Amino acid sequence: MGSRLLSIAANTFRETIRNKILYTILAFALLVIGLTWFLADLSVGELTRIIVDVGLAGIHVFGVIMAVFLGITLIHQELERKTVYVILSKPVPRWEFVVGKALGLSGTLALVTSVMSVVLFGVHAAYAKAIEPGILLASAGVYMELVLIVCAASFFSAFTTPVLSATFTLCLFLIGHVSRDLVDFGGRSAWSAVRWGAFALYGALPDLELFNWKNQVVYGEVRSFSVLLLPAGYLLAYGGGVLFLACLLFSRKDFK
Amino acid sequence: MTGDAPVIEVRDLAKTYPTGFWRRRVEVLRDVSFSVRRNEIVGFLGPNGAGKTTTIKILNRLAFPDGGTVRLFGAADGYRPEVRRRIGFMPEQPYFYEYLTGEEFLRLCGRLCGMGRQETGERSETLLSRVGLEGAGRMAIRKYSKGMMQRLGLAQALLHDPELIILDEPMSGLDPLGRMDVRNLIRELRGSGKTVFFSSHIISDVEALCDRVILLHRGRKVAEGSLEELLGGGDMQCVEVTFSPIPDPGWLADAGLPPGRWNVEGNVVIVVAQDEEEADRWIGEFRRAGSRVRSCVPVKRRLEDIYVEHVVGGKPPGGARG
Repeated sequence: MGSRLLSIAANTFRETIRNKILYTILAFALLVIGLTWFLADLSVGELTRIIVDVGLAGIHVFGVIMAVFLGITLIHQELERKTVYVILSKPVPRWEFVVGKALGLSGTLALVTSVMSVVLFGVHAAYAKAIEPGILLASAGVYMELVLIVCAASFFSAFTTPVLSATFTLCLFLIGHVSRDLVDFGGRSAWSAVRWGAFALYGALPDLELFNWKNQVVYGEVRSFSVLLLPAGYLLAYGGGVLFLACLLFSRKDFK
Repeated sequence: MTGDAPVIEVRDLAKTYPTGFWRRRVEVLRDVSFSVRRNEIVGFLGPNGAGKTTTIKILNRLAFPDGGTVRLFGAADGYRPEVRRRIGFMPEQPYFYEYLTGEEFLRLCGRLCGMGRQETGERSETLLSRVGLEGAGRMAIRKYSKGMMQRLGLAQALLHDPELIILDEPMSGLDPLGRMDVRNLIRELRGSGKTVFFSSHIISDVEALCDRVILLHRGRKVAEGSLEELLGGGDMQCVEVTFSPIPDPGWLADAGLPPGRWNVEGNVVIVVAQDEEEADRWIGEFRRAGSRVRSCVPVKRRLEDIYVEHVVGGKPPGGARG
């Protein structure tokens, strides 16, 4: 099982790493990160904070674009080109195919996020003449969010078209950054049914703010790796659940 | 698997697909039953849209039946990895990861089938050479022609040395030499104890290769049997006699030639006699009218006739002249 899963993941990694669009997006991201140097020069006060702030935002935005784009094409391309026929006719359970694809893309995103965060780390260190490990921690948070987006894209790809998958995934990304407000709003209601409903909805939707400590990094408040523990647990539970549903849907899919 | 269990056993297979905005279900297969025994070459024949590919997809767990059962190697759950390991499959117009080379793709297939690195390498080399892709293993698949893709499809289906090989339209996209290669390969496979089940709508390929034929039309099985059974033991159907020069038109009109069974083509007259006695009689008559026999061909029932009878609902060719 492990060998098949890793083979699919390795092949997906190879597929995505050879994707020219990935490099185009990465080039844009690195350009934005590089431009933060000049942006800092133009700003008044808090110069290094501008680099961290804009740089991390760049890593986040371009990372999400990559995760959504590659995430939705990952399975659809296999179906469209019918390469899935050959793979699934081999002794490969369908869930291994879905999980292997998500694993492979997560590997690619890990590499790309690392490149972006190391470049930002370098730009900041060169400009500020100081090291800010928080940049790497915040990038790890962004990466975990990207993995969760890949899980969601795999889920939507299992039953709908690429355009709808992209729309749903992007909607989930946007909702994920405000879902926490649901609990606040629900808590203000006098009706317990509304409070519980809001809480249940919050549980069903992803809480992507859990992965976001960019602001704390900007103000130098994040220093310890322990900040990764809770989000990592959440990613395992929520991302794993979404991927499980994707596998479930994919396991009964008819290929026409 | 029990000793004598068929390699493939399909019972009352039914399948519908939802189509259109209202997801109306269209029937693709109904009550299809057949079996394939060990070491047979079985042809799955039918026009486009007959349900051949759907049946093959169900055999390869790419689609799920609405009703009926599929047993592979006697196992009710033919989807288990240990059963899949015994099956090789090539889909219709195969398409592979274009960013890989042929060798890399076969390596991936080998790993998915649980083969070791060395074994995969050796088998890949042998098979690439066997299917005529010698020297193309290190070429990116995106540079492969349609025929090369088809050949790579065959190589991946045979890589793990499966007992049962299922091929969906294996000859499509190949030039005449390529088709001959594939025919020889299929015969070799049977010679080495394998079972081959392949779909085609090229009747001559099926007729040349198969021990048994299953004919599908509009989602239903309309005929099944060995070529001998289907063709009635190869009995003569009629005798086609060609005469020249063409006798006088007045003679032709008064000779009492069988209506609908004679024809003038260029400078010859062709008469289709129902049996040898009738052929002898017409040979005598035409000789007396100054014509000579140019050819006399006993026409046997062909698979094409069976196909036309079931699919088009028309009469087989050979008896419809004049």
